[in-house]
Amino acid sequence: MNQEQLVRIYKNSVLARRFEARIVELAMAGELPPSLHVGAGQEVAQIAAIEALRPADYILYGHRGVAYMIARGVSLADMLADMAGKEGATSRGKGGVMHVVDVQKGILGESGTLGGSFVVSVGVGMALKRKQPDTVVTYFFGDGTANRGPFHEALNWAAVQKLPCVYFCENNGFAISMPTSRSTAVENIADRAAGYNVPGVVVDGSDPVAVYEVMEQAVARARAGHGPTLIEAKVTRLQGHYVADQQEYRTDRNVVAEKDPLPKLQHTLCDRGMLTQAEVDGIQADADRQVEAAVAAMRAAPLLAPEVALQDVYA
Amino acid sequence: MPTLTYSQAINDALAEEMRRDENVILYGQDVAVWGGIFKVTAGLLEKFGPERVFDTPISESVMVGAGVGAASMGLRPVVELQFADFVITAGDEIFFKAGMWRYMHGGAHTIPLVVRAPSGGSGFGPEHSACPEAFIMHAPGLLCAVPSTPADAKGLLKQAIRLDNPVIYFEHKLLYQMRGEVPDGEALTPFGQAVVRREGEAVTIVAWQDMLRRALAAAERLSQEGIEVEIIDPRTLNPFDRATIIESVKKTGACIVVEEAYRTLGVGAEIGALLLEEALPYLDKPFKRLAIPDVPIPTSQHLVDAIVPSVDDIYRAVKELAD
Ligand SMILES: Cc1ncc(C[n+]2csc(CCOP(=O)(O)OP(=O)(O)O)c2C)c(N)n1
Ligand SMILES: [Mg+2]
Repeated sequence: MNQEQLVRIYKNSVLARRFEARIVELAMAGELPPSLHVGAGQEVAQIAAIEALRPADYILYGHRGVAYMIARGVSLADMLADMAGKEGATSRGKGGVMHVVDVQKGILGESGTLGGSFVVSVGVGMALKRKQPDTVVTYFFGDGTANRGPFHEALNWAAVQKLPCVYFCENNGFAISMPTSRSTAVENIADRAAGYNVPGVVVDGSDPVAVYEVMEQAVARARAGHGPTLIEAKVTRLQGHYVADQQEYRTDRNVVAEKDPLPKLQHTLCDRGMLTQAEVDGIQADADRQVEAAVAAMRAAPLLAPEVALQDVYA
Repeated sequence: MPTLTYSQAINDALAEEMRRDENVILYGQDVAVWGGIFKVTAGLLEKFGPERVFDTPISESVMVGAGVGAASMGLRPVVELQFADFVITAGDEIFFKAGMWRYMHGGAHTIPLVVRAPSGGSGFGPEHSACPEAFIMHAPGLLCAVPSTPADAKGLLKQAIRLDNPVIYFEHKLLYQMRGEVPDGEALTPFGQAVVRREGEAVTIVAWQDMLRRALAAAERLSQEGIEVEIIDPRTLNPFDRATIIESVKKTGACIVVEEAYRTLGVGAEIGALLLEEALPYLDKPFKRLAIPDVPIPTSQHLVDAIVPSVDDIYRAVKELAD
């Protein structure tokens, strides 16, 4: 990974962090629905993984935040419109912030039932193999989601067909209130890769360089026609499951901020002379400007017309 | 016109559409090398090769879900489930992914997927015998075809493959060996157009697939007694041709729905509601349903016969109404 890429990961992570913080503010104030699952703490891994993809590659994603979309350059205003049910909404008021879609940018969408995209990803891989060789699809999902049945069916059949799929598990140690240790028999989700005869790799999700390198290998393997890889990034969910979650169930909630990968990345960049403090300040100010411009655009946009509810069922 | 079996008609439809459009792929358990457990897809692997006709693991969720993903990316998959009952086994993928993936993403995706579902009487018991059309008809986003003749088996399947929406295509297991005339070549059966299989004044009967066959047999007997019934084959349940039924009821003043499915909230219930809403003034007699009395379908044939509407049941129901 070159310097420019690491700086880009940082910039996008700052933007995702600030954008989501602003969404929470607007949700607490009642201006937006409280439907975001904040991705803070996981966005560095999400964005570093996407950095290893080409623009023509595709992603399916989970509910944990909007950093995936930011890494792919989806308009912030459109995502706010998704939340507000306004003109510009990428899913036209049907999916909200959890089903942001932009096929041109490779964002294929999300399954509301956790893990539904495992099986969809297999079909996407089948189509790519036949129609868009050299292109891969990556599915991002949580540790809890890995316990759903479609995980098994999809990994097995994707492996049998040697599909260009990458499975990227963000293990944050929780599924809502349930610690992974109480729900999951294996130590690492990636240990299950052996059951599908595919590589399983555990990586520190707070280290963007490590995530990028692991993804680079998985993507190369997928492109070469050797089939899927199961990656597990150990990450930290810095906040609650949903906006108002008080996290009474969580014993680490007072120390969790120490695991924030974003200040760590900032120090690395500054220590290595890749960014000056002035540039860091500039990046943050620029992120805030983009967020405020998006909020203004969302506020100015008209609500979707009621008849939109009747549209888009059939082609 | 050549005479084909229902099963050959399906095979021909698949072969013709695969020849016409290289995006059409066909997969399912045992469909390729073995030609399917009902031998409907025999010979297609040899014609189109393993990239387009292939066997799958016993994984109904990913079979259907992958169909949605592949369809959204430009293929036109035809998926064979071994038994129609398994639309419930792959419930998330049928009802949510196939039915809602497009809507949930604001129309960004188009899902030209066909799921072939062998339905009806089998002798394999409660989980291998159902005609679960009502579940599909109830679900937004899914089209539903119920071909009753070899000609419609071919015409509806060719049309289904060309539509840009997901279609659950029920092929009735007891009809596979039925013979009938099938027009050569480009004969597509439109979705949403019922057909009157027999004209009459006494009662309107709505029935499809094996129940249609039984209704036609009952009609012969009734005709000998001077009672002429009108029989409507809906051909597709979504879209559903309401107008043809209402027009017929205007003439006959009575309606019986015969279905090989559970009575409560079945297709018959929907037709009854339709008549209440739109045709009450024309109904001279109470609306009637013949259906399975809300029990699972057993395995032993004489027990199946005890609960599935028979030719006699249809005959008697008409006589009661006609008297
Ligand atoms: C099939 C299904 N079951 C339950 C839910 C409700 N639900 C939404 S998020 C969530 C927890 C998911 O945990 P994980 O996959 O670890 O992701 P994380 O929230 O930790 O990012 C649950 C149970 C759902 N959406 N779908
Ligand atoms: Mg989790």
